[in-house]
Amino acid sequence: MSHGRLSNDRGGLRGIVRGGSGGESPVISPRTLRNLRSELSRSLLAKFGIAILAVILFTAVFAPLLAPHDPTDQNLDNANVPPLGFTATENQTTSETVDGEVQIVEEEVVVNTTAEHPLGTDSLGRDVLSRTMFGARTSLLVGLFGTAIAVVLGVTVGITAGYYGGRVDDALMRFADVMLAFPSLVLAIALIGLWGQASLRIPDPLVAFGIASAEMPEDIVLPGTVIVVVALVNWVWFARVARGEALSVRDQEYVKAARSMGGSDLHVILRHVLPNSLTPILVLATIQIAAIILLESSLSFLGFSGAQLSWGFDIAQGRQYLSSSWWIATVPGLAIVAAVVGINLIGDWLRDALDPGIEGQGGAP
Amino acid sequence: MTDPLVTVDGLEKYYYENDTLLDRLTGAEPEAVRAVDGVSFDVREGETLGVVGESGCGKSTLAETLMRLREPTGGSVTFDGDPVFELSGGDMDAFRRRAQVMFQDPFSSLDPRMTAGEIITEPLAIHDVGTAAERRERAETLLEEVGLSADQIDRYPHEFSGGQRQRIGFARALAIDPEFVVLDEPVSALDVSVQAQVLNLLADMQAERDLTYLFIAHDLSVVRHISDRVAVMYLGEIVEIGPTEEIFEDPQHPYTKALLESVPRADTDERDRVVETIRGDVPSPRDPPSGCSFRTRCPELIQPPWLDAPQAAFREISEFRTRIENGDIDVDTRWERVGDPDREDRAAFVDALREEAFDEDLPDNDEETVREAIRALADGDREAAAATLRERYRSPCEAIDPALPAGNHPDACLRNEQPADVEAAREEWEADHDAPEVGASSR
Ligand code: SF4
Repeated sequence: MSHGRLSNDRGGLRGIVRGGSGGESPVISPRTLRNLRSELSRSLLAKFGIAILAVILFTAVFAPLLAPHDPTDQNLDNANVPPLGFTATENQTTSETVDGEVQIVEEEVVVNTTAEHPLGTDSLGRDVLSRTMFGARTSLLVGLFGTAIAVVLGVTVGITAGYYGGRVDDALMRFADVMLAFPSLVLAIALIGLWGQASLRIPDPLVAFGIASAEMPEDIVLPGTVIVVVALVNWVWFARVARGEALSVRDQEYVKAARSMGGSDLHVILRHVLPNSLTPILVLATIQIAAIILLESSLSFLGFSGAQLSWGFDIAQGRQYLSSSWWIATVPGLAIVAAVVGINLIGDWLRDALDPGIEGQGGAP
Repeated sequence: MTDPLVTVDGLEKYYYENDTLLDRLTGAEPEAVRAVDGVSFDVREGETLGVVGESGCGKSTLAETLMRLREPTGGSVTFDGDPVFELSGGDMDAFRRRAQVMFQDPFSSLDPRMTAGEIITEPLAIHDVGTAAERRERAETLLEEVGLSADQIDRYPHEFSGGQRQRIGFARALAIDPEFVVLDEPVSALDVSVQAQVLNLLADMQAERDLTYLFIAHDLSVVRHISDRVAVMYLGEIVEIGPTEEIFEDPQHPYTKALLESVPRADTDERDRVVETIRGDVPSPRDPPSGCSFRTRCPELIQPPWLDAPQAAFREISEFRTRIENGDIDVDTRWERVGDPDREDRAAFVDALREEAFDEDLPDNDEETVREAIRALADGDREAAAATLRERYRSPCEAIDPALPAGNHPDACLRNEQPADVEAAREEWEADHDAPEVGASSR
């Protein structure tokens, strides 16, 4: 999975770097809005991506109201139930007394689906649909917070390097390269060794205020370590893009003009360099959210995440039952695919709309 | 004559290439690019000093160094008695308010993500002048003053034309009420018809607000109407400076004369203009010519005392010599053209190259010297060929570096009045070098 993430990054980066700066639109000028709208009306894929992400977001926010069951509720009598429309068989060993002898009988029994568990249950009898709905929370939280931290870190370092250039640039970008050389998993193991699987428990307002059933889990788990790890793994991409932008912006005459008026470095960076570097960073961020969701899944899959309720965790759980109860891993797997595809489609839309002319078909009117 | 507001004294800006850490470790010599190479002048209060030169002559670097946007490598700038390069804190702040720059490029000089109002009030915001409402009001007034309308205040740069953008850039420069404005090619990127309007605006504002201008341009005709005095720059140095009318009516330096001849007549298309009378390329500031920096292209290159050739012939011979010295003449292809694989027919080679390189008729003695040099070339002895020509055709211009004397209209050419030390060096040089005998040097 992490390989998928890497190649994904590269493709995204290349598209952005080619876009360069020199976009003439203010952050949210009417023209930008027009571009976004016209690009959206032209692109079916963009609408599709927005629809997917809207569904996932809605599900994540209202999971306690939407989920049919408590996702952590175990029921061994009802384990490994297949999704509706499928049947599954299970080897059962029973012992019975025949003619005073105890006989052990192995037989195949058909496990019936029930409408109570439309997407089946896992090996502990927990409802797969409910778990997948709640898992969306973890994925999106990690994706958003991880990306946010990576953006702040990367943009700060990248803009400083690009704006000051010279030795500052050399030192910072060397450091970034070293960070890039660490495989994410090694970094994760090291950090978890350092401070454990720190996670934050936030009371779920829907449950706390009695809007949702009190049977639902009381807390939203924010896997802190995982968020820090994904941010540390991904900030370098933002640093590189931000540096490239800052390098080109700092040679613009309006930067010279601001300095000639007596503007401080901080003024120039906040007023000119940052706003003019934002478009490619925004596009990269959408792509990185998807990459980070994948990374979270692989970390959970390997057991590095503190979260017991995430898509990656469930895939890991379901892996050993893949031959008999394939749905346990497949349903959260499909959810990941949907989220990543949706976010990437939105990223493409933003890129086409904000930097017309990168993609042949995207920009031409 | 009023006092100088700005005094530039021996200003130098060298860039060093090969100066990365790796280069220093490997011991590579840093190579100096002499963008500004010892420039001195005054700008008097209330006047406009035009600075003119071809692109790459260092005029923009001059402007940026003078404004301390780049740190100089030598020299000083004094602004109203204050040493600009030594200012800090509040004094520097004051300088940043009193001196402003207007830039060349109508597209990159305005931040595309800021409205006209934000752009114009940026200096006020930086120096914390007035409330937001007051600044906005000021921006509206300025917009009207520069010929735009106040209700365009919330538009973005891409909604304006090039000429309008330059007006906004000018309004920004005026926002904080400066005394001195550096205009860095303010109209070069504009259409001719728009140029005149913007130039008029600049002149009107100067009269209205008692501004002092340093006006940079690559085109003499642009500075003519707005400048009180004009300085002509070549390869990082000022070669002539004087009152505008004198520069135009009575130019002294051969470079100024050549520039003036290239100014188009009113009816020709300004964009097609080529500097025809000046042949060759501007030499690289990495490796400027010895002596007078203009000597590689100078039509009036001074002949040594023993020579009395027609000037055109002398110039051709000098150019031929430069080509030989630089190794620009490929002997092998010339031999091929002669069609003599054994390279025995030297006479044919000499005739062919002689015809190729010279349009002018040469006096007999010079004809003989040139042929002697070509014969050496035919034998593959480039050094001897160059030496033959060098001996007879060396010019004082390549040995003596002319200076820009003090005065009202000085120029840096050895043909004209020079300071005593330069004259002395020239006399010494002439005494040291005798006329060579024709045909007496090697072979
Ligand atoms: S010094 Fe010599 S080369 Fe230089 S401008 Fe005068 S005549 Fe020309």
